[in-house]
Amino acid sequence: MNEALNIFTRGFVKENPVTKMLLGLCPVLAVTTSAVNGLGMGLATTFVLLGSNVVISLASKAIPNTVRIPSFILVIATFVTIVDLLIQAFSPELNQSLGIFIPLIVVNCMILGRAEAFASRNRLWYSIIDAIGMGLGFTFALLLLSIFREVLGSGTIFNIPLVGEDANTILVFALPPGAFAGLGLIIAGLNSLEKKMGGKK
Amino acid sequence: MRPIIILTIVGILSAALLAVVDDLTREPIAVAKEQMKRKAIEQIFPFAIDSLNTVKSEQTTFYEAYNKENEIQGIAVETSTDEGYSGTIEILLGVSPDQKILGYKVLFHRETPGLGDKIDKSKFKEQFKGRTLENTNWKVKKDGGDIDEITAATISCRAVANAVVEGLEFINEQYPKSSAE
Repeated sequence: MNEALNIFTRGFVKENPVTKMLLGLCPVLAVTTSAVNGLGMGLATTFVLLGSNVVISLASKAIPNTVRIPSFILVIATFVTIVDLLIQAFSPELNQSLGIFIPLIVVNCMILGRAEAFASRNRLWYSIIDAIGMGLGFTFALLLLSIFREVLGSGTIFNIPLVGEDANTILVFALPPGAFAGLGLIIAGLNSLEKKMGGKK
Repeated sequence: MRPIIILTIVGILSAALLAVVDDLTREPIAVAKEQMKRKAIEQIFPFAIDSLNTVKSEQTTFYEAYNKENEIQGIAVETSTDEGYSGTIEILLGVSPDQKILGYKVLFHRETPGLGDKIDKSKFKEQFKGRTLENTNWKVKKDGGDIDEITAATISCRAVANAVVEGLEFINEQYPKSSAE
Protein backbone atom coordinates (compact mmCIF):
# COMPACT_ATOMS: atom_id res chain seq x y z
CA MET A 1 0.00 0.00 0.00
CA ASN A 2 2.90 2.28 0.79
CA GLU A 3 4.23 1.69 -2.69
CA ALA A 4 0.85 2.64 -4.18
CA LEU A 5 0.70 5.86 -2.17
CA ASN A 6 4.20 6.66 -3.26
CA ILE A 7 3.30 6.16 -6.94
CA PHE A 8 0.21 8.32 -6.52
CA THR A 9 1.83 11.32 -4.84
CA ARG A 10 4.85 11.21 -7.14
CA GLY A 11 2.70 12.58 -9.98
CA PHE A 12 1.72 15.54 -7.85
CA VAL A 13 4.99 16.78 -6.48
CA LYS A 14 8.24 14.96 -7.12
CA GLU A 15 7.59 14.11 -10.77
CA ASN A 16 4.76 16.48 -11.61
CA PRO A 17 4.61 16.32 -15.42
CA VAL A 18 4.30 20.09 -15.81
CA THR A 19 6.26 21.70 -13.00
CA LYS A 20 9.05 19.11 -12.71
CA MET A 21 9.27 17.11 -15.93
CA LEU A 22 8.10 19.97 -18.20
CA LEU A 23 6.29 17.46 -20.38
CA GLY A 24 3.30 18.10 -22.59
CA LEU A 25 3.78 21.84 -22.55
CA CYS A 26 1.83 22.51 -25.76
CA PRO A 27 -1.58 22.21 -24.09
CA VAL A 28 -0.22 23.71 -20.88
CA LEU A 29 0.75 26.93 -22.62
CA ALA A 30 -1.99 27.07 -25.23
CA VAL A 31 -5.27 26.39 -23.42
CA THR A 32 -4.64 27.91 -20.01
CA THR A 33 -6.29 31.24 -20.82
CA SER A 34 -9.27 30.36 -18.61
CA ALA A 35 -9.80 28.10 -15.62
CA VAL A 36 -12.60 26.19 -17.34
CA ASN A 37 -10.30 25.39 -20.25
CA GLY A 38 -7.47 24.34 -17.96
CA LEU A 39 -9.70 22.05 -15.93
CA GLY A 40 -11.35 20.59 -19.04
CA MET A 41 -8.01 19.92 -20.71
CA GLY A 42 -6.57 18.41 -17.52
CA LEU A 43 -9.47 16.02 -17.04
CA ALA A 44 -9.56 15.04 -20.72
CA THR A 45 -5.84 14.25 -20.55
CA THR A 46 -6.32 12.28 -17.32
CA PHE A 47 -9.00 10.17 -18.98
CA VAL A 48 -6.77 9.41 -21.97
CA LEU A 49 -3.85 8.62 -19.68
CA LEU A 50 -5.95 6.26 -17.60
CA GLY A 51 -7.28 4.46 -20.69
CA SER A 52 -3.89 4.10 -22.32
CA ASN A 53 -2.14 3.02 -19.11
CA VAL A 54 -4.75 0.30 -18.47
CA VAL A 55 -4.65 -1.11 -22.00
CA ILE A 56 -0.88 -0.92 -22.33
CA SER A 57 -0.29 -2.47 -18.93
CA LEU A 58 -2.55 -5.39 -19.88
CA ALA A 59 -1.26 -5.82 -23.43
CA SER A 60 2.41 -5.02 -23.05
CA LYS A 61 3.49 -8.68 -22.87
CA ALA A 62 1.74 -9.46 -26.16
CA ILE A 63 3.27 -6.53 -28.02
CA PRO A 64 6.69 -7.20 -29.58
CA ASN A 65 9.37 -4.66 -28.80
CA THR A 66 9.81 -3.58 -32.42
CA VAL A 67 6.25 -2.29 -32.82
CA ARG A 68 5.92 -1.05 -29.26
CA ILE A 69 5.80 2.69 -29.99
CA PRO A 70 3.36 2.54 -32.94
CA SER A 71 1.06 0.33 -30.89
CA PHE A 72 1.16 2.75 -27.95
CA ILE A 73 0.39 5.69 -30.24
CA LEU A 74 -2.53 3.78 -31.77
CA VAL A 75 -3.97 3.06 -28.33
CA ILE A 76 -3.51 6.68 -27.24
CA ALA A 77 -5.02 8.04 -30.46
CA THR A 78 -8.04 5.79 -29.98
CA PHE A 79 -8.72 7.14 -26.51
CA VAL A 80 -8.18 10.72 -27.64
CA THR A 81 -10.75 10.29 -30.40
CA ILE A 82 -13.20 8.83 -27.89
CA VAL A 83 -12.72 11.83 -25.57
CA ASP A 84 -13.09 14.19 -28.53
CA LEU A 85 -16.39 12.61 -29.58
CA LEU A 86 -17.70 12.54 -26.00
CA ILE A 87 -16.90 16.21 -25.44
CA GLN A 88 -18.55 17.15 -28.73
CA ALA A 89 -21.65 15.22 -27.71
CA PHE A 90 -22.01 16.20 -24.08
CA SER A 91 -20.18 19.49 -23.57
CA PRO A 92 -20.46 21.59 -26.74
CA GLU A 93 -19.35 24.73 -24.87
CA LEU A 94 -16.09 23.09 -23.84
CA ASN A 95 -15.72 21.77 -27.37
CA GLN A 96 -15.94 25.31 -28.68
CA SER A 97 -13.19 26.64 -26.46
CA LEU A 98 -10.83 23.64 -26.47
CA GLY A 99 -11.52 22.80 -30.11
CA ILE A 100 -8.35 21.78 -31.90
CA PHE A 101 -6.39 21.11 -28.73
CA ILE A 102 -8.25 17.91 -27.89
CA PRO A 103 -6.94 15.97 -30.92
CA LEU A 104 -3.49 17.28 -30.01
CA ILE A 105 -3.54 15.24 -26.78
CA VAL A 106 -2.27 12.42 -29.02
CA VAL A 107 1.12 14.06 -29.23
CA ASN A 108 1.27 14.95 -25.54
CA CYS A 109 4.57 13.30 -24.76
CA MET A 110 3.59 12.86 -21.11
CA ILE A 111 1.10 10.15 -22.09
CA LEU A 112 3.52 8.25 -24.31
CA GLY A 113 6.14 8.78 -21.61
CA ARG A 114 3.99 7.11 -18.94
CA ALA A 115 3.11 4.27 -21.33
CA GLU A 116 6.74 3.63 -22.15
CA ALA A 117 8.32 4.28 -18.77
CA PHE A 118 5.66 2.92 -16.46
CA ALA A 119 2.58 1.12 -17.79
CA SER A 120 4.47 -1.27 -20.07
CA ARG A 121 6.62 -2.44 -17.14
CA ASN A 122 4.21 -2.50 -14.23
CA ARG A 123 1.14 -4.31 -13.03
CA LEU A 124 -2.35 -3.08 -13.87
CA TRP A 125 -3.09 -1.83 -10.35
CA TYR A 126 0.03 0.32 -10.17
CA SER A 127 -0.52 1.59 -13.71
CA ILE A 128 -3.99 2.80 -12.77
CA ILE A 129 -2.65 4.64 -9.72
CA ASP A 130 0.17 6.09 -11.78
CA ALA A 131 -2.30 7.38 -14.40
CA ILE A 132 -4.56 8.98 -11.80
CA GLY A 133 -1.64 10.54 -9.90
CA MET A 134 0.06 11.89 -13.02
CA GLY A 135 -3.25 12.99 -14.55
CA LEU A 136 -4.37 14.87 -11.46
CA GLY A 137 -0.91 16.38 -11.07
CA PHE A 138 -1.16 17.59 -14.66
CA THR A 139 -4.68 18.92 -14.03
CA PHE A 140 -3.55 20.64 -10.85
CA ALA A 141 -0.72 22.43 -12.63
CA LEU A 142 -2.99 23.45 -15.50
CA LEU A 143 -5.61 24.74 -13.10
CA LEU A 144 -3.05 26.75 -11.14
CA LEU A 145 -1.65 28.37 -14.28
CA SER A 146 -5.05 29.00 -15.86
CA ILE A 147 -6.51 30.62 -12.73
CA PHE A 148 -3.42 32.80 -12.48
CA ARG A 149 -3.74 33.84 -16.14
CA GLU A 150 -7.50 34.28 -16.12
CA VAL A 151 -7.55 36.46 -13.00
CA LEU A 152 -4.74 38.73 -14.17
CA GLY A 153 -5.37 38.62 -17.91
CA SER A 154 -9.15 38.74 -18.17
CA GLY A 155 -10.22 39.80 -14.68
CA THR A 156 -12.50 36.77 -14.28
CA ILE A 157 -12.36 33.43 -12.49
CA PHE A 158 -14.27 30.45 -13.89
CA ASN A 159 -15.88 33.08 -16.16
CA ILE A 160 -17.24 34.98 -13.15
CA PRO A 161 -16.18 38.62 -13.50
CA LEU A 162 -14.06 40.03 -10.68
CA VAL A 163 -13.92 43.51 -12.19
CA GLY A 164 -16.16 45.49 -14.54
CA GLU A 165 -16.33 44.65 -18.22
CA ASP A 166 -14.40 47.78 -19.16
CA ALA A 167 -11.65 47.47 -16.58
CA ASN A 168 -8.12 47.30 -17.91
CA THR A 169 -6.54 43.95 -17.12
CA ILE A 170 -2.94 42.83 -17.51
CA LEU A 171 -3.47 41.68 -21.07
CA VAL A 172 -0.11 40.03 -21.49
CA PHE A 173 -1.19 37.18 -19.22
CA ALA A 174 -4.03 36.31 -21.57
CA LEU A 175 -1.60 36.21 -24.49
CA PRO A 176 1.03 33.52 -25.24
CA PRO A 177 4.00 35.33 -23.62
CA GLY A 178 2.03 35.43 -20.36
CA ALA A 179 1.80 31.65 -20.44
CA PHE A 180 5.58 31.33 -20.36
CA ALA A 181 5.96 33.98 -17.68
CA GLY A 182 3.15 32.49 -15.59
CA LEU A 183 4.54 28.97 -15.84
CA GLY A 184 7.98 30.20 -14.81
CA LEU A 185 6.59 32.04 -11.79
CA ILE A 186 4.52 29.03 -10.71
CA ILE A 187 7.47 26.64 -11.00
CA ALA A 188 9.63 29.05 -9.02
CA GLY A 189 6.92 29.42 -6.38
CA LEU A 190 6.38 25.68 -6.01
CA ASN A 191 10.10 24.98 -5.85
CA SER A 192 10.70 27.51 -3.09
CA LEU A 193 7.66 26.20 -1.21
CA GLU A 194 9.00 22.68 -1.47
CA LYS A 195 12.42 23.74 -0.27
CA LYS A 196 10.95 25.44 2.78
CA MET A 197 8.80 22.44 3.67
CA GLY A 198 11.68 20.06 3.09
CA GLY A 199 13.88 22.19 5.40
CA LYS A 200 11.45 21.82 8.28
CA LYS A 201 11.50 18.05 8.07
CA MET B 1 6.00 -11.71 -39.15
CA ARG B 2 4.69 -11.56 -35.60
CA PRO B 3 5.12 -7.77 -35.12
CA ILE B 4 3.15 -7.07 -38.28
CA ILE B 5 0.29 -9.30 -37.19
CA ILE B 6 0.17 -7.80 -33.71
CA LEU B 7 0.22 -4.22 -34.98
CA THR B 8 -2.55 -5.09 -37.43
CA ILE B 9 -4.62 -6.57 -34.62
CA VAL B 10 -4.10 -3.44 -32.48
CA GLY B 11 -5.20 -1.33 -35.44
CA ILE B 12 -8.30 -3.41 -36.10
CA LEU B 13 -9.33 -3.38 -32.45
CA SER B 14 -8.87 0.40 -32.26
CA ALA B 15 -10.90 0.94 -35.42
CA ALA B 16 -13.68 -1.32 -34.15
CA LEU B 17 -13.87 0.49 -30.82
CA LEU B 18 -13.94 3.88 -32.57
CA ALA B 19 -16.69 2.71 -34.92
CA VAL B 20 -18.84 1.80 -31.91
CA VAL B 21 -18.19 5.10 -30.10
CA ASP B 22 -18.80 7.10 -33.28
CA ASP B 23 -22.10 5.32 -33.77
CA LEU B 24 -23.16 6.00 -30.18
CA THR B 25 -22.22 9.68 -30.19
CA ARG B 26 -23.37 10.66 -33.67
CA GLU B 27 -26.88 11.55 -32.61
CA PRO B 28 -25.97 13.36 -29.35
CA ILE B 29 -23.44 15.45 -31.32
CA ALA B 30 -26.06 16.48 -33.88
CA VAL B 31 -28.51 17.32 -31.08
CA ALA B 32 -25.86 19.33 -29.19
CA LYS B 33 -25.01 21.34 -32.31
CA GLU B 34 -28.68 22.08 -32.88
CA GLN B 35 -29.10 23.18 -29.27
CA MET B 36 -26.09 25.50 -29.46
CA LYS B 37 -27.63 27.17 -32.49
CA ARG B 38 -31.04 27.44 -30.84
CA LYS B 39 -29.46 28.95 -27.73
CA ALA B 40 -27.60 31.51 -29.83
CA ILE B 41 -30.81 32.45 -31.65
CA GLU B 42 -32.65 32.82 -28.36
CA GLN B 43 -29.93 35.15 -27.09
CA ILE B 44 -30.26 37.42 -30.11
CA PHE B 45 -34.03 37.79 -30.13
CA PRO B 46 -35.61 39.71 -27.23
CA PHE B 47 -38.88 37.74 -27.49
CA ALA B 48 -40.00 34.19 -26.87
CA ILE B 49 -39.64 31.91 -29.87
CA ASP B 50 -42.37 29.37 -30.40
CA SER B 51 -41.01 27.69 -33.50
CA LEU B 52 -38.05 28.00 -35.82
CA ASN B 53 -38.09 27.42 -39.53
CA THR B 54 -34.76 26.75 -41.21
CA VAL B 55 -34.33 27.98 -44.77
CA LYS B 56 -31.17 27.10 -46.64
CA SER B 57 -30.02 29.23 -49.55
CA GLU B 58 -26.99 28.76 -51.75
CA GLN B 59 -24.75 30.97 -49.63
CA THR B 60 -26.09 30.64 -46.12
CA THR B 61 -28.79 29.45 -43.74
CA PHE B 62 -31.73 31.51 -42.49
CA TYR B 63 -33.75 30.88 -39.35
CA GLU B 64 -37.24 32.31 -39.22
CA ALA B 65 -38.54 32.75 -35.69
CA TYR B 66 -42.31 32.57 -35.17
CA ASN B 67 -44.43 33.38 -32.13
CA LYS B 68 -47.42 31.37 -30.90
CA GLU B 69 -49.78 33.08 -33.37
CA ASN B 70 -47.47 31.90 -36.13
CA GLU B 71 -46.42 35.43 -37.06
CA ILE B 72 -42.84 35.95 -38.08
CA GLN B 73 -40.98 37.86 -35.35
CA GLY B 74 -37.46 37.84 -36.62
CA ILE B 75 -35.00 36.35 -39.05
CA ALA B 76 -31.54 35.15 -38.15
CA VAL B 77 -28.83 34.54 -40.71
CA GLU B 78 -25.39 32.96 -40.58
CA THR B 79 -22.65 35.10 -42.00
CA SER B 80 -18.90 35.11 -41.85
CA THR B 81 -15.80 37.00 -42.86
CA ASP B 82 -12.16 36.06 -43.34
CA GLU B 83 -10.97 39.58 -42.59
CA GLY B 84 -10.62 39.14 -38.84
CA TYR B 85 -7.28 39.82 -37.19
CA SER B 86 -6.71 36.05 -36.90
CA GLY B 87 -8.84 34.71 -39.68
CA THR B 88 -12.46 33.72 -39.83
CA ILE B 89 -15.19 35.30 -37.72
CA GLU B 90 -18.61 33.66 -37.86
CA ILE B 91 -21.66 35.61 -36.81
CA LEU B 92 -25.32 34.88 -36.32
CA LEU B 93 -27.21 38.08 -37.15
CA GLY B 94 -30.80 38.66 -36.08
CA VAL B 95 -33.16 41.21 -37.62
CA SER B 96 -36.81 42.14 -37.15
CA PRO B 97 -39.27 41.52 -40.02
CA ASP B 98 -38.67 45.12 -41.22
CA GLN B 99 -34.96 44.29 -41.34
CA LYS B 100 -33.75 46.34 -38.41
CA ILE B 101 -30.94 44.69 -36.49
CA LEU B 102 -31.99 43.15 -33.19
CA GLY B 103 -28.56 41.86 -32.32
CA TYR B 104 -25.84 39.42 -33.23
CA LYS B 105 -23.81 36.71 -31.64
CA VAL B 106 -20.29 35.66 -32.53
CA LEU B 107 -20.34 31.92 -33.16
CA PHE B 108 -16.66 31.50 -33.87
CA HIS B 109 -13.60 33.71 -33.73
CA ARG B 110 -9.90 33.55 -32.98
CA GLU B 111 -9.37 37.24 -32.20
CA THR B 112 -6.88 38.32 -29.55
CA PRO B 113 -8.18 37.65 -26.04
CA GLY B 114 -8.77 40.91 -24.19
CA LEU B 115 -8.71 43.04 -27.35
CA GLY B 116 -10.41 41.64 -30.43
CA ASP B 117 -12.67 39.34 -28.46
CA LYS B 118 -14.56 42.39 -27.23
CA ILE B 119 -16.55 42.13 -30.47
CA ASP B 120 -18.71 39.66 -28.55
CA LYS B 121 -19.23 41.99 -25.56
CA SER B 122 -22.45 43.91 -25.08
CA LYS B 123 -20.78 47.33 -25.02
CA PHE B 124 -19.72 47.00 -28.66
CA LYS B 125 -22.79 45.06 -29.79
CA GLU B 126 -25.27 47.58 -28.37
CA GLN B 127 -24.63 50.13 -31.13
CA PHE B 128 -25.83 47.75 -33.85
CA LYS B 129 -29.41 47.69 -32.56
CA GLY B 130 -31.94 49.30 -34.88
CA ARG B 131 -29.47 49.82 -37.72
CA THR B 132 -30.43 48.89 -41.27
CA LEU B 133 -28.58 48.59 -44.56
CA GLU B 134 -29.82 52.07 -45.53
CA ASN B 135 -29.67 54.17 -42.34
CA THR B 136 -26.02 53.51 -41.61
CA ASN B 137 -22.65 54.21 -43.15
CA TRP B 138 -21.21 50.74 -42.58
CA LYS B 139 -17.62 51.73 -41.94
CA VAL B 140 -15.83 52.17 -38.65
CA LYS B 141 -15.38 55.76 -37.47
CA LYS B 142 -11.70 55.64 -38.34
CA ASP B 143 -12.68 55.06 -41.99
CA GLY B 144 -15.33 57.79 -41.85
CA GLY B 145 -18.32 55.59 -41.04
CA ASP B 146 -20.80 55.23 -38.19
CA ILE B 147 -19.47 52.20 -36.32
CA ASP B 148 -17.66 53.04 -33.12
CA GLU B 149 -14.61 50.78 -33.11
CA ILE B 150 -12.90 49.32 -30.06
CA THR B 151 -9.52 50.89 -29.35
CA ALA B 152 -6.69 48.57 -30.45
CA ALA B 153 -9.13 46.26 -32.20
CA THR B 154 -10.03 48.21 -35.34
CA ILE B 155 -9.43 45.27 -37.66
CA SER B 156 -11.76 43.01 -35.69
CA CYS B 157 -14.47 45.70 -35.64
CA ARG B 158 -14.10 46.37 -39.36
CA ALA B 159 -14.49 42.64 -39.99
CA VAL B 160 -17.62 42.43 -37.86
CA ALA B 161 -19.14 45.43 -39.66
CA ASN B 162 -18.45 43.77 -43.01
CA ALA B 163 -19.94 40.47 -41.87
CA VAL B 164 -23.05 42.27 -40.60
CA VAL B 165 -23.46 44.06 -43.93
CA GLU B 166 -23.14 40.76 -45.74
CA GLY B 167 -25.79 39.27 -43.46
CA LEU B 168 -28.15 42.19 -44.12
CA GLU B 169 -27.61 41.77 -47.86
CA PHE B 170 -28.34 38.05 -47.62
CA ILE B 171 -31.58 38.81 -45.85
CA ASN B 172 -32.49 41.56 -48.30
CA GLU B 173 -31.99 39.14 -51.17
CA GLN B 174 -33.96 36.32 -49.60
CA TYR B 175 -36.75 38.51 -48.22
CA PRO B 176 -37.14 41.50 -50.58
CA LYS B 177 -38.45 44.48 -48.64
CA SER B 178 -41.51 45.09 -50.82
CA SER B 179 -42.97 41.74 -49.85
CA ALA B 180 -42.24 42.22 -46.16
CA GLU B 181 -44.98 43.91 -44.16
